[in-house]
Amino acid sequence: MTTTTTRFQSSVSGVRDDGAFVSTGRLVRAEWTKFRSVRRWILGVLAMAVLTVGMGLFIASGSGTDANTRPEEVTVGPGGARVHDVFQFTHRPLQGDGGITARVTSLKSADGREMAGWAKAGVIIKAGTKPGSTYAAVMVTPGHGVRLQSDFTNDVAGKSRAIPGWLRLVRAGTSVTGYESADGRTWRKVGTVTLPELPQRAEIGLFATSPGVFKVQREFGSTSVGQSTSVVAATFDGVDVQSRQQAASWNNTVVSPSRAGGDEFQGNDFQGTQSAGTFTLRGQGDIAPRPDGDDPVRLPFTGVMIGMIAAIALGVLFITAEYKRGMIRTSFAASPRRGRVLAAKAIVISAVTFATGLVATVILFFASQPVLRSGGFAPPAFPEPSLTEPRIMRAVVGTALFLALVAVFSLGVGTILRRSAGAIAGIITLLVLPTIIASALPISAATWMMRLTPAAGLSIQQTSRHYPQVESVCVPEDGCYYSEPWAGIGVLVAYTAVALGLAYWLLRRRDA
Amino acid sequence: MTRTLPIPTLLTRTLLTRTLYAEWTKLRTLPGSGWSFAGVVAVTVALSIAFTASVDAAHCPAPQGCHEDTTKLTLSGTWLGQAAVVVLAALVITNEHATRMIQTTLAATPRRAVVLFAKAVVVAGVVMAAAVLGVAGSLLTGRFFLEGNGFTAANGHPPLSLGSEPTLRAAFGTVLYLVLVGLLSLGAGALLRDTAGTITAVLTLFYIAPVAVQFVGDPHWRERLEKAAPSAGMAVQATRNLDRLPIGPWAGLGVLAAYAACALLAGGAAFIRRDP
Repeated sequence: MTTTTTRFQSSVSGVRDDGAFVSTGRLVRAEWTKFRSVRRWILGVLAMAVLTVGMGLFIASGSGTDANTRPEEVTVGPGGARVHDVFQFTHRPLQGDGGITARVTSLKSADGREMAGWAKAGVIIKAGTKPGSTYAAVMVTPGHGVRLQSDFTNDVAGKSRAIPGWLRLVRAGTSVTGYESADGRTWRKVGTVTLPELPQRAEIGLFATSPGVFKVQREFGSTSVGQSTSVVAATFDGVDVQSRQQAASWNNTVVSPSRAGGDEFQGNDFQGTQSAGTFTLRGQGDIAPRPDGDDPVRLPFTGVMIGMIAAIALGVLFITAEYKRGMIRTSFAASPRRGRVLAAKAIVISAVTFATGLVATVILFFASQPVLRSGGFAPPAFPEPSLTEPRIMRAVVGTALFLALVAVFSLGVGTILRRSAGAIAGIITLLVLPTIIASALPISAATWMMRLTPAAGLSIQQTSRHYPQVESVCVPEDGCYYSEPWAGIGVLVAYTAVALGLAYWLLRRRDA
Repeated sequence: MTRTLPIPTLLTRTLLTRTLYAEWTKLRTLPGSGWSFAGVVAVTVALSIAFTASVDAAHCPAPQGCHEDTTKLTLSGTWLGQAAVVVLAALVITNEHATRMIQTTLAATPRRAVVLFAKAVVVAGVVMAAAVLGVAGSLLTGRFFLEGNGFTAANGHPPLSLGSEPTLRAAFGTVLYLVLVGLLSLGAGALLRDTAGTITAVLTLFYIAPVAVQFVGDPHWRERLEKAAPSAGMAVQATRNLDRLPIGPWAGLGVLAAYAACALLAGGAAFIRRDP
């Protein structure tokens, strides 16, 4: 008798006076034993992985693009990202250090159509006239005031919002400084940028360009997003190039990857004229990063929409099966601290789904790359993604995290309802339905639905970069999620926390 | 005691009538049934209201240029209502397996085909009643909200009425759609026996195509998916631009009917051969 008692005491670590305390570690082990000894749960978690990978590969094989056949789509900037580089350029060579000063006297629509907020005109220094080459420019915009932009992705806001306005660009070595002024006498520095690729002999001058204006038409089940071109005309005076060489003559060039008469522009969209010190430039296009319209890395990961259904069933059944069989009374008899039982279950189910999910997403990432490449998602338009890039890593790990959160959320709801039928049907509907019906709702309603339902967590999968200096339209069919990646998964975390909290409270109050 | 049938009456009834009566009694007296029935009606109407209240003619380029399919929009609640139908129908058979009631049922009626047939009739009847209420509720509320949102007769959107042939077809077709969803779920339940497994499998089947369609870029694959999946049955709700549908209204419902028939046949074969 004595020996038995001793063994009992030694095996239950941390036993308290009431003898009812079982360490969390042991509870986790007990729950893990329950999980691994039921064959259908092991099958369920395998089904989650297989469905995710299979569906992901199916989606990847059904997707394609012809972006690499269109020259305007494959202009690549100094950073290697795809860029837009189409504008009217009135320029002259500049050897070594120097600068340019000019006053923009007007920036107007030249085709009578609405002008884009990011239409731009100003002074620029650029490596040459080759699209995608390095540059720095200070400019006026109708909607966003004075900006200093360089190498497509950098964007610094100035103070002034007024047109006419004075602009100045000064080059010293590889650093270029932009200034703004209201009167041409007192100057305010906007910022300094470094252009490592800027050659000794660069082109300096004036430019004008404008992106198109988005028109969104949305009717039940279909959205059409059109971007109508918008041509702007800008006038400059007081143009003065500070240079140690004698004045060279001005050249007019249309910077564009495609020939005149191509898809992107018509003949009279570009023009550069000069008379009595007044320069008039007419242009359209944009000097900006090109946001990835398609997000080929994300595409296969959307297979998780089907794989997660298995995670839902697992999470719910992990607790409702115990209620069905009366096993829950044994569990609570062994550990009267019910909250700890729930915590142990949450730890086990999240660890299992996260680990399996991560294996699945890593496999899916590598398996889908050749499929996507054969569908046209290949360099140069789509640079080869690498698992070490933070945004790719975030999508791969985030998708596994999403599965784990869905499983824990399901565990919480299953504990609240204690029945598998209602819990499973309810959660599947809550997670899947928003994605299906979002395309049928007006954009504002769809936006809020996708932000506030747990489906917001899927936004962790987006890997395309968005730039504030480029207008874009977010429609669900284009795979645009409405939340920032971490904010979206935060919504799912909040749902999970509330479900677990309510489950904990009910567990303590209710009979088992 | 007054409700007990005199024994001679029971004996004179045919096997089928008795089984039907027994199945109806079981379904009627289960606490979950009332909830599922109310759930089908409530979620269908609620989602339809959410749709019709949020879509405004102001979103169209011009009020007259609005090609909104108002009937389809009003019946969109079916997307949610079908989940409740799946639960209701699956529980009719899986719950009996869970509680071992199935052994009593089969002891009373050893002809298993008759038992499953009676269950199918009861499920079809109950789902039909719920669907009629859900569709009627959606159409009535839709009529109210749509007119308030600028979908008026002057703009080419006459108020929804069952007098117009396409709307009548959409309404009737939606009821049939939900009945077929119920039968598919019952067949799957007979095959799988387990509540959670059945509901998970059937809902996956219904949601897999609409989800994949969102992300498949290739139009051929998209059309193939839309044609071959059980959710093709939703085509029966379309009243405008029928030529642009991937599959015709009745053909779409036919696809779903084929799925339901296969599920019932497979479920029936398993139910008859297997030990309960």
